[in-house]
This record gives sequence, structure tokens and C-alpha cells, in this order.
Amino acid sequence: MIVFETLIVEKADTVVVITLNRPDVMNIHNTAMRDELYEVLSAIREDDETKAVLFRGAGEKAFCAGADLTEFLTAPPPATARAVRFDADLWELFTTMPQPLICAVHGYCLGSGIEIALCCDIVFASDDARFGLPEIGLGIIPAAGGTQTVPRTVGGSAALDMMLTNRWLTAHEARRAGLVNRVVPRERLLTEAHAALRRIAARNPRTVRAAKEAVNRGLDLTLAQGLELERRLVLALWGQI
Amino acid sequence: MTEPTINFEQRGAIGIITLNRPEQRNAITAQMVAELREIRASVGWDSGIRVFVLAACGADFSAGTDPDSLQQFTQREEQIRHHTVAAHIASLPQPVVAAINGAAFGQGLELALACDIRIAAHGAHFSMTQISGDDMPFDGGTQRLPRVVGRMKALEMILCGAVIDAQEAKEIGLVNRLVPQEALLPEALKLAEDLAAKAPLAMKYAKEAVMKGMDMTLSQGLRLEADLYFLLHTTGDRREGIEAFREKRPPKFREK
Repeated sequence: MIVFETLIVEKADTVVVITLNRPDVMNIHNTAMRDELYEVLSAIREDDETKAVLFRGAGEKAFCAGADLTEFLTAPPPATARAVRFDADLWELFTTMPQPLICAVHGYCLGSGIEIALCCDIVFASDDARFGLPEIGLGIIPAAGGTQTVPRTVGGSAALDMMLTNRWLTAHEARRAGLVNRVVPRERLLTEAHAALRRIAARNPRTVRAAKEAVNRGLDLTLAQGLELERRLVLALWGQI
Repeated sequence: MTEPTINFEQRGAIGIITLNRPEQRNAITAQMVAELREIRASVGWDSGIRVFVLAACGADFSAGTDPDSLQQFTQREEQIRHHTVAAHIASLPQPVVAAINGAAFGQGLELALACDIRIAAHGAHFSMTQISGDDMPFDGGTQRLPRVVGRMKALEMILCGAVIDAQEAKEIGLVNRLVPQEALLPEALKLAEDLAAKAPLAMKYAKEAVMKGMDMTLSQGLRLEADLYFLLHTTGDRREGIEAFREKRPPKFREK
């Protein structure tokens, strides 16, 4: 187990559990968390032993209640902030991780919380989870991929409804919208998420990675290109190219 | 001089566009198309309008293309040139709320699909009717409908031309919200007022990031989002939004 300032990272056999660990402030995302996630995910990406990753939030109240606004007004000038972002682009890294990522959401899941969840491949939510994108009310837009990942998950119109009107969804509404895969009672959340994690870890990691790549990269391609990608990945698995 | 077929009213920061041919069930004519395009062209970025509502007079949102109007053009190219309008509505940078009652058929549905948030009255019904007239959607419907409801449902609607009711439309994501008939316009205006009170630049950029981003790869979309976000950093509204939040007061946005 490695304890960072904002994260706890535990590796057990072939799976890694990453806990957002700022429970006193509902695990809100700050620059320290950004830098630590970048460091941890960069290491996991290169680690062939790690077959799957689980994200969760510490404390009772929230998976992640958004971004740390106390940092916003001391942010560097826009040109500097942009250079810093693209110099170590956490969100590009997050959305291109080769291993399957599972997210276990409880309580508040707002702003960056949704954006972290949607960088993952499978999202479990406890029945008390609440989802919202309050950024526009603050004069900003989601900027951890939310304007891209949310419409790709729930459609443009539902995404705009959440973003523009700050409409919050219950866990069951989020499931119907396609934002989460499964809703479970709070006390079962981690058990269910771990069970899925173990099922994935029990499979051939090359097959699992190929399937994830085919789906996620394929969604960015035309159908013909996606089918060609799938064919190549299958042939590679069979050792024929 | 012919009567106008579209009403346009600016109420504070809200622009209300109303289809106004109720006796013909708001069937879309070339004149309506021309008037809608004219309104679109007249509401530039500095018009002070932060939100649009697209509504309809009478019992129906729109029964689709007016066949007599369409047939005055003999060439297909002319029909497309004079009879398509959804792209003009979709190109508005501000959010557009559609208030849908009764029938939203054919091109009427295509027009509604060009809006961002669709509110429908119980009793509203929806259909891509063109196939029954030996035709296909020509105002963006084959592209916007699958992007909203998914490929399978879109193909079913476009190929079968079946009428679906408001409840099903809600379930498949074709409309965002359902309200009682008498509450339709009040709810749409209330939503528009809520939106008008929010940061207008953030709203426009969020719409741009979502709509443009869906046509890009995820990686390209993420870059567009970040670039718009950093551009927003340079505005006074962003500072105002954060300061108001910290001072626990409502923000005053100036679109600057």
C-alpha cells in the first residue's frame, strides 16, 4: 500500500485499488490529486502485471464532489495553465489506459467525479449516489473530458440537459441514462465491484486489453475502420500478424 | 403582403420563436423556412439573447413539410435549397429549448432535433413520416435522429414511419422532459429563464464542446474542450462565477 497526499494505492496480486483520499472535503479533485493520478496511472500503464484497476472514494459522503474551487483564483495565467495541462495530460492518459478500469461510486459524484467515472470502463453506483455537472453555474465548463465523455455515454441532448440546467440524477436515473452500469445497495458496492475486478483479472490479459481497445478506439472510427481494427486485433491475438 | 408564419419575440434575454400556421398544423413551407433563416441571421452574438425557445401555436408542433410548398420546386436541388432549415437552428451558439405539443412529424421532428433540450407535453407524438410518402428525411433527420436515440431506434422510426407516443419518446431519449399540456410553455420559459441566469459564455462553449466534439475522435474532442476551457479562463464571467460561489451570492454575468 502506498499512501500519497490525496490517494491511497493498493496492489493485491494483479489488481490495483486507487482510493481518492480527501474525505474531509468529499474527495474534491485538486492539482495534487491530478499530479498523483498522473504518476500512478503512468506507472500502471507500463505494468504488465496489473490486469485491472478499481477507483473508489474514501469516507461516507462522496466518491468525488468536484474540483477544489479554492485553487481556481490562484490558477496560473491561461497560457501557462494550458501548457501545464498538455505537458502532462492526465485525461488523455486516463482515457487511453490499456487495462480495464472499474469505478465504484457512492454519495456525491459531481463535476470531476463524473469525469473520473467516465474515464473508467464499467461504473458501479450505490443506490445513494447522486450525479451532477454544476460547472456552468460557476462560469466554467467541464474540462476533465466531461463535454466529450458524457455525450458519448448518454447522448448529446441528455448531456446538455445535465450541463446547462444542472439537473442532478439519482443512481437509478443515471443507470437508465447509461451513465452507470449497475446500481447496488451501499453495503454491497465494494463487494460487487471487487467481484467484477476479480472476474476480469482471471481472464487472459491480452484478450481483455484487445477487447477494450477494439471498443474504445472503434467508437472513434467509421464502422468499416472499426471492423478492420477488430480483425487486426483478433489476428494479433492468434499470433498471425 | 403575406402574413408572417413565424412569430419572433425577444423577452429580456430569451428569444421565443413560434411556428404560427396553426390551421395547417404548422406544416413547413418555404416561407416559414425563409422567415426562420431570417431570424437566425438577425440574432448575432451581440443580440443579448442567451437562450432560445422554439414553440408552436395550436394543437400540433408541426405536421411536417407542406407538400404544396415543396412541390412548387421541381428540382430536388431547389427543394433542398429552399426547404431546409434545421441546420440554421442547430448553428445557434445559444442553447435552444423545444416545446413540443401534439404532432412532431417529418420535418417538424427534424426541426425539433436541431434543438438542444426537448420538452414535450403528455399527448405529444413523434414520427418520421417521410417513408410513407415515398420519401426520406432531408432536413438532417437521418443524421441527428441516430445521434439522439441510437442507430436501431432511428432506423426503425425512419424505415417504418411508426408513430411513437410521448412516454416512449422519453424512454428512448428523444425528449428530455415530459410535462402536462397546460404546463408546456410555462415550463419551457421557466427553463429558459434558469438558463438565461447562468454564465452565457460557459453555456455557449459547453454546447460547442459537446456538439462539435461528438464529430471528433475522443482525443481531438478532449483538446477542443481544454482549449475552450482555457479561453474561458480569460473572461471576467469566470472570475465572477467563482467569486460569487465563494461569497455565497448569486453571480452577475456580463458575457465578457
